[in-house]
Amino acid sequence: MSTRFHTISALVHNESGTLNRLSSLFRRRMFSLASMNAGDCEQEGLSRVTMVVQGDDNDLRQCVRQLDKLLDVIEVEDLNSNQSVQRELAFIQVSANVESRRAILDIAQVMHCEVVHLEPNSITLQVTADPNRIDQVVALLEPIGITQIVRSGLVAIRVNN
Amino acid sequence: MESLVRHGVDTLFGYPGGVVLPLYDEMLNWPQVKHVLVRHEQCAAHMADGYARSTGKVGVCLATSGPGATNLVTGIATAMMDSIPMVALTGNVNSWAIGTDAFQETDIQGITIPITKHNYLVQNVSDLPGVLEEAFYLANSGRKGPVLVDIPKDVFIALTDAQFPETVGRRGYKPSAEINPLSFERAARLLKEAKKPIVIAGAGVIWSNTSNALRELAEKCDLPVISTLLGLGNIDRNDPRSLGMMGMHGEYTGTRAVQESDLVIGIGMRWDDRLTGKVNGFAPNAKLIHFDIDYSEFSKVVTTEVVVPGDLAVSLPEFLANAEPKTNPEWWAQIREWQKWHPIVIPQDKKFVARHVLDKLNELTDSNAYVSTDVGQHQMWTAQLYKFKQPYQWMSSGGLGTMGFGFPAAMGAAFANPGSEVWAVVGDGGFQMTLQELQTAVENQLDVKICLINNGFLGMVRQWQEMFYDNRYSHVSMGSPDYGKLAEAYGVTFFRCSSRDEVEETIRQARAAKGPVLCEFLVEMEENVFPMVAAGASNDNVINDPALSQATLTEATK
Repeated sequence: MSTRFHTISALVHNESGTLNRLSSLFRRRMFSLASMNAGDCEQEGLSRVTMVVQGDDNDLRQCVRQLDKLLDVIEVEDLNSNQSVQRELAFIQVSANVESRRAILDIAQVMHCEVVHLEPNSITLQVTADPNRIDQVVALLEPIGITQIVRSGLVAIRVNN
Repeated sequence: MESLVRHGVDTLFGYPGGVVLPLYDEMLNWPQVKHVLVRHEQCAAHMADGYARSTGKVGVCLATSGPGATNLVTGIATAMMDSIPMVALTGNVNSWAIGTDAFQETDIQGITIPITKHNYLVQNVSDLPGVLEEAFYLANSGRKGPVLVDIPKDVFIALTDAQFPETVGRRGYKPSAEINPLSFERAARLLKEAKKPIVIAGAGVIWSNTSNALRELAEKCDLPVISTLLGLGNIDRNDPRSLGMMGMHGEYTGTRAVQESDLVIGIGMRWDDRLTGKVNGFAPNAKLIHFDIDYSEFSKVVTTEVVVPGDLAVSLPEFLANAEPKTNPEWWAQIREWQKWHPIVIPQDKKFVARHVLDKLNELTDSNAYVSTDVGQHQMWTAQLYKFKQPYQWMSSGGLGTMGFGFPAAMGAAFANPGSEVWAVVGDGGFQMTLQELQTAVENQLDVKICLINNGFLGMVRQWQEMFYDNRYSHVSMGSPDYGKLAEAYGVTFFRCSSRDEVEETIRQARAAKGPVLCEFLVEMEENVFPMVAAGASNDNVINDPALSQATLTEATK
């Protein structure tokens, strides 16, 4: 079976040990976790966690069932891209001099990046997009000289119930 | 303490220490709860486990912070692997000191995350009643399991007006997988069409108290029933439809029958690797039906034709009602033929082997005793030869395979079932891991009998070295103390037996004796357990007992 990235969203109790228990499950059962993102949600005392998991359909099914079994997890679902909006945020710091600055700003404009910090020798861009487009931005800026990348990991929201 | 009494806990197993002093002080005010002072916390967990396995109730153990808590770990992991209802209470340092590397501080919540069904660190005393209520509920509902509650010292001391909640439940917790009404018809249709159906029934039948439904199903549809290692007792082994255990050291008949069958019905079991052998070669001609309470067990190991989710207490009677009566005379004729040619061999020559002891133990106790084991050859021989009649009679560490489990587990059963006959069958390796509990047994004048199979080896490891490592024995020779002197030192009744002729008399005397009894059986050193399927091999490749006749072996390869 082919391996690919899946996005899993879980509503969890926000208690001592919750994230520990989630991440422990991935390590213990050898599920490949690409990113995990947790934050407050609309219900007090609960959090929503978005996880990106690599594996085939069987791995994914096991992963969702094992997560569902955790006492911390209230609901869990595998979100496909048709029924959800998925975004990641990245900061990309590029070394810049007078000659290269224009080129960087052109890329930033075309790719919908925001300049969040500017110094004589560097530009820091922020991009919020799906992960593929972030990869694209990185590829475009790479030849110019990237000094630092910080990516948030994916967050996803279900739409079209 | 009030929480324990609310949950009908009459016995807990523990060991005091600095941070649990407040609880131990309070204990003196609650004479209705018996506290058993163990000699090592691991055994407190195993005793709670034995208590649970022999009663179906939640076992409770208690330890102090740091090393006390970490000593529970093997016992908790044992209970987790076998889905045993247990509540483990641990003390921790004062809540303001947590995270400072205080004396005897350890992150037991973090340590036990992968080996508990759930665990808690109680930070406010007002949460304590609710957490304890929830802990007992979680441990004993759905697929059961151990729950740990870590309580800092200041929380033990603090007073609270908080009441126990009137109802208990946890958002998002589904004790059992949802019943699917269609699954019964689908499963019944497959059963109707099958010519060679067979049931493999696990411990789920025991914990859901559905032995009667299993027996009725077997009778109604004329089904052979295999019990998994942990499922022994889910059907009376003397029932003509019971085939005993299958797999790595199961009986040839069960293993072969599954390979030949066209429908395997797994009920409350999880297709363990010791049972399936190489999964690719497992039951090659069969469709599979799987009953389980835990959705995550479906398709985890094998691909199933029909899954029947839900608590067996609901699903099994429902399936029984849906299934049409049938008979399978040709299938049974074949099975009887296999049975005839492939019994578990009790050697008739001069050699004195463990099988002589266990066969006799079964006979003299009329298969009625509570029996526990450690892990290894003696465990497999006991599983093969003891004809368990009922659920909750058998205690063995199946999943984790914990040496040293047998003796404390039997003690837990003896505390839970006063007046009953309880035997711990142990090897010389495992017994030396937890024999310090002899003192606990003596102090309580506990009626527990130890059947020590002493072959001077770690027998199962030695068997593998003989068979798969070219007879190169590496660190498997096991020295022992003089058990007679050891028993005398502890004040335990002792019998030693070194020949087959003395077995009966030894067991008779042991049965008549009061309090803890240690029987040492000095058996042949290099005996192997058969039949055997090598680890990773297909169940087609059963290695039969060489003592079986040539005619048998010819038949076996037919």
